[in-house]
Amino acid sequence: MTLFHFFNCAALTFGPHAVYYKATPLSEYDTVGTCVKAALVYLGTTLIKLVLFATFLQASDNDDFHPSQEMLKALIGFLDVAGMYFALTQLTYRNISQNHKFQAIGLGWAFADSLLHRLAPLWVGAKGHEFTWDYLLQGIEANVNLVLTVSLAALGSLMWLRKSKPSALVPIIYTSAGILAAMPSISSYLHRGLKWDFSKVVGFEMSAAVAMALVTWRLFSACQRPQA
Amino acid sequence: MQLVCVSGHTLLALLFLVAAYIDLCDAASVFDVYRAIQYDLRGIPMGSRRASLNHHASSGLSVPGSDITRSVVILPIAKVNITLLNEYLQGKRILGGLLLLLPEKGHGDDNKDEDADENLQVERDLENWIIKNNVPYPVYFVYETPSLKALLDEVIANDLAGKPATATTGGFKLVISGPEPRKIPPPSLVNIQAWLPGLRSEGDSSVVQTIAIVAWYDTFGAAPGIPAGTDSNGSGAVALLEIARLFSRLYANPKTRGRYNLLFALTAGGPYDYEGTSKWLKSFDQRLRESIDYAICLNSLGSISGEKLWLHVSKPPENAYIRQIHEGLSEVATELGLTVEVKHKKINISSSRVAWEHEQFSRQRITAATLSELETPPELLENAGSIVDTRANITQVILSTKLVAESLARYIYDQQDKHITVFADGSNLAVSRSYVQGWLNLLSRTPRMAPFLSRNSPIIAAFHKELADRIEDVKIQHETMDSSFTFYDSTKFVLSIFQVASVTFDLVVMLAVGSYLGLLFVIALVTTKGLDDLFRKPPSSRKIKGT
Repeated sequence: MTLFHFFNCAALTFGPHAVYYKATPLSEYDTVGTCVKAALVYLGTTLIKLVLFATFLQASDNDDFHPSQEMLKALIGFLDVAGMYFALTQLTYRNISQNHKFQAIGLGWAFADSLLHRLAPLWVGAKGHEFTWDYLLQGIEANVNLVLTVSLAALGSLMWLRKSKPSALVPIIYTSAGILAAMPSISSYLHRGLKWDFSKVVGFEMSAAVAMALVTWRLFSACQRPQA
Repeated sequence: MQLVCVSGHTLLALLFLVAAYIDLCDAASVFDVYRAIQYDLRGIPMGSRRASLNHHASSGLSVPGSDITRSVVILPIAKVNITLLNEYLQGKRILGGLLLLLPEKGHGDDNKDEDADENLQVERDLENWIIKNNVPYPVYFVYETPSLKALLDEVIANDLAGKPATATTGGFKLVISGPEPRKIPPPSLVNIQAWLPGLRSEGDSSVVQTIAIVAWYDTFGAAPGIPAGTDSNGSGAVALLEIARLFSRLYANPKTRGRYNLLFALTAGGPYDYEGTSKWLKSFDQRLRESIDYAICLNSLGSISGEKLWLHVSKPPENAYIRQIHEGLSEVATELGLTVEVKHKKINISSSRVAWEHEQFSRQRITAATLSELETPPELLENAGSIVDTRANITQVILSTKLVAESLARYIYDQQDKHITVFADGSNLAVSRSYVQGWLNLLSRTPRMAPFLSRNSPIIAAFHKELADRIEDVKIQHETMDSSFTFYDSTKFVLSIFQVASVTFDLVVMLAVGSYLGLLFVIALVTTKGLDDLFRKPPSSRKIKGT
């Protein structure tokens, strides 16, 4: 709907990533390298996922929800976790503290995700004459995705980078991580299986992100306390 | 994570604010539209002069609060206030565009009779207005469909509620984009003639006389892309085809072949002073011209209401030949329940306007007459294939065909006053209802404007084949039109209708997103400077624990 709308939606989609980088101490410690590395890992993970999708999934003509297909998609989606693991543990970074590391990785991951999934539809669609709410909703989804990814990165760093964890919390950590990793499948089920409106799906994602972020924060701060 | 909650709330609030400006909408709709005619007559521009448009929709010519120079007025064709339209034109108020809704094909006959007549008159006046004026904005015709009707209803409701669609308030936007119209090179007029040779008796060295039956088949209406002129002159062309078919059967057998040659011709250029006919006649050689006993031209025989036919002549009615033709027709007419009255109009040599086709024959000193339901001579470009002329009375066409065929037969076979019906109902020489119906249907679906008919167009090929299947000697003649008309192309376009948000909406969204990002920045700055501390125990407590 004109270039104006495109810029508005682009700002909504990509602005928060820039803000997150600039406003938090991430910019002070110059963690761009980390973000870029995370983005590249995301790219690699997505490519592998695509290959697996192409090999194992059947192409369907309609937008319906097939449980078996969706299960397979969810399984392949867990590859995201593997990618995150790789990014968090295997790559070497400059000396930056743990909490900055997971934030930078989460940021780079989410930015790459938004870029790949949302830039093209935005460019093609938001510039047309016809107005739909879709692109604004997509922007909100990008924001939500940022929160979810950072939470996942936090939990990831808890799981793999921290040796000492209160044993009571460990199952909660793994459950939360599982839920976060499964978020895309859940959204897709809501959208296609239950035929929810896009705005409703985004609303659900928003509340889920808020909830998970709270849980993650509590877990993280709980794990910060030294062992009793 | 406070910042996430706060930003979520802010965003929701802003969204509600913004949602007040526009409803959720469907995707764009797309329609086929037909442009009004654009032509130059002797260098004077006429018709609609523009093609592309990109404006908001409006439901009337005087909607309060709407800027008519930046909107496309959508009106059903019967509801146009022509006086107002004319006023605007004279006052140089140029509309953004005019979109006229035609009744859905096949549904136009559902009106009550009184409404229908009034509507018909308004429609004809509107068509004349478009044709005879230089309209400096795009004019389009579109067939009404349920989705288009729903859209129009919504536009009307918005306008009534005082919220017309403009750039500042959003609404429906109509976009037609395409190349600017260009002049097309001088069109060719295609005449199709068929020659049925008559019987030459043994030892008779005199020239066999010829009778010509002629009808023009092309149209001139407000929109070249829309089929038009079912009665004027689709009915004439169909009658000619049927008469040719019947006589070809009679002439196939030498025993029933008449002693006259029959020359049938479907001519083009009817609306343009019968230019095709004139050129066709000029191509005759002297012998043929002198051998023509008389010619009968068919023009509009399918009137809905009439039973009276007029025989228009340019020689005085007292002339022996004219009397003969008239009496022959009247005899059959009485049997069929019709009346045929003679109308005399002298040819005005100084004027270039040729009102009837037979006048072209008369200028070549050939006796001719036009049989028509029209009483008064049509003005230039009137009754020449109007887009509202979509039906012909088939019973009337059949009766007229029978009238002409029968009177011809009685003349040829010298059976006057002998009460013999050659093409009797129920015989295998009867006028075929299905044939007439079929051809009328075809012609009512085919746009037939000569400048837009190429040499190979299907309808011309259909005419040719129809005649050639039965008659051996069929010729096609191509003539270039050299009259004072110049036509422009680009007759069919695609209209896209979008629902757009207003500029205000864009500005509000920009403010919303800007403030959201600003808020995020501030909150992130404030909290993370302290956020680091949340992850690090304050040194003091550690020391305390340690010691």
